[in-house]
Amino acid sequence: MTYLAVFFLVAGFFFILVGTVGVLRLPDFFTRMHAVGKCDTLGMLLCLIGLMIYEGASLVSLKLLYIWVFLLMANPTATHVFCRAALKCGLKPWTRMEGQG
Amino acid sequence: MAAKTTAPSTHSRKRAEIVHFVFLTSALFVFWFILSGKTEARYLIIGFVTALAITVAARPLLILPPDQGRPYWLSLWDLPWPRVALYIPWLIWQIIVANIQMAMIILHPKLPVDPKVVQFRKHISHPVGRLALANSITLTPGTITLDLEEDGYTIHCLQGGFAGGVVAEDGEGVMPAKVGAVFGVEPVSTTRQD
Repeated sequence: MTYLAVFFLVAGFFFILVGTVGVLRLPDFFTRMHAVGKCDTLGMLLCLIGLMIYEGASLVSLKLLYIWVFLLMANPTATHVFCRAALKCGLKPWTRMEGQG
Repeated sequence: MAAKTTAPSTHSRKRAEIVHFVFLTSALFVFWFILSGKTEARYLIIGFVTALAITVAARPLLILPPDQGRPYWLSLWDLPWPRVALYIPWLIWQIIVANIQMAMIILHPKLPVDPKVVQFRKHISHPVGRLALANSITLTPGTITLDLEEDGYTIHCLQGGFAGGVVAEDGEGVMPAKVGAVFGVEPVSTTRQD
């Protein structure tokens, strides 16, 4: 059981790490939001699954499940809010052609 | 037509409201119970009263701005829950696929990104359906929802190829079609004010 929990935690850490690398490497705000919005969501979800497995069937696991469901809805919504705000402020999405110039 | 449907719709709206009250209060009460973890009567009573108060206080928030001229009453109860339950595992699988693709793009030495903005229109009556579509697009391969105005969605794609998931050459993409099929229900409409 502990090994399974560790597996999920490590997988979660990997995706969070990838998200962070993505924020550093990608060219503009919107593409960075791709990295944050997706990788962090799955990373956190996997970490929480790992913690739930480690904890076993208990009240703490149920609380973690609540956080899980909340994250699944809140994270993409927050990403969308950031992107919408940036778009309304007139930030133009980066494209390959402009970037090369 | 309008005169005919008024009586049943008032009735169904009343029922929807009652069902919603019971549903939300019990959901909040279960939430309280899990977070507190106490079974003594006084804590349960405090929890129940709190849940009831929140349900009453939140009531005005659930009357939605009119959609196509009809004011709507939002209730989580009238969602097609069996279809939603089947949809969630598919969505989680899509999230995993999206993340593996994302990881491959980010860790690729050349960073093959070619962003593109696309737009499409899709009408889903139920507001939770609209939320689900926007969030699903954000979570699935290479696309995030930039803007949502009425029925128009603006999507940012990390690579041109990812646009295929949301906008197809002919007709609509996989995601809008799927979410439309899952959430294709009318929310309970309130009676007209006139």
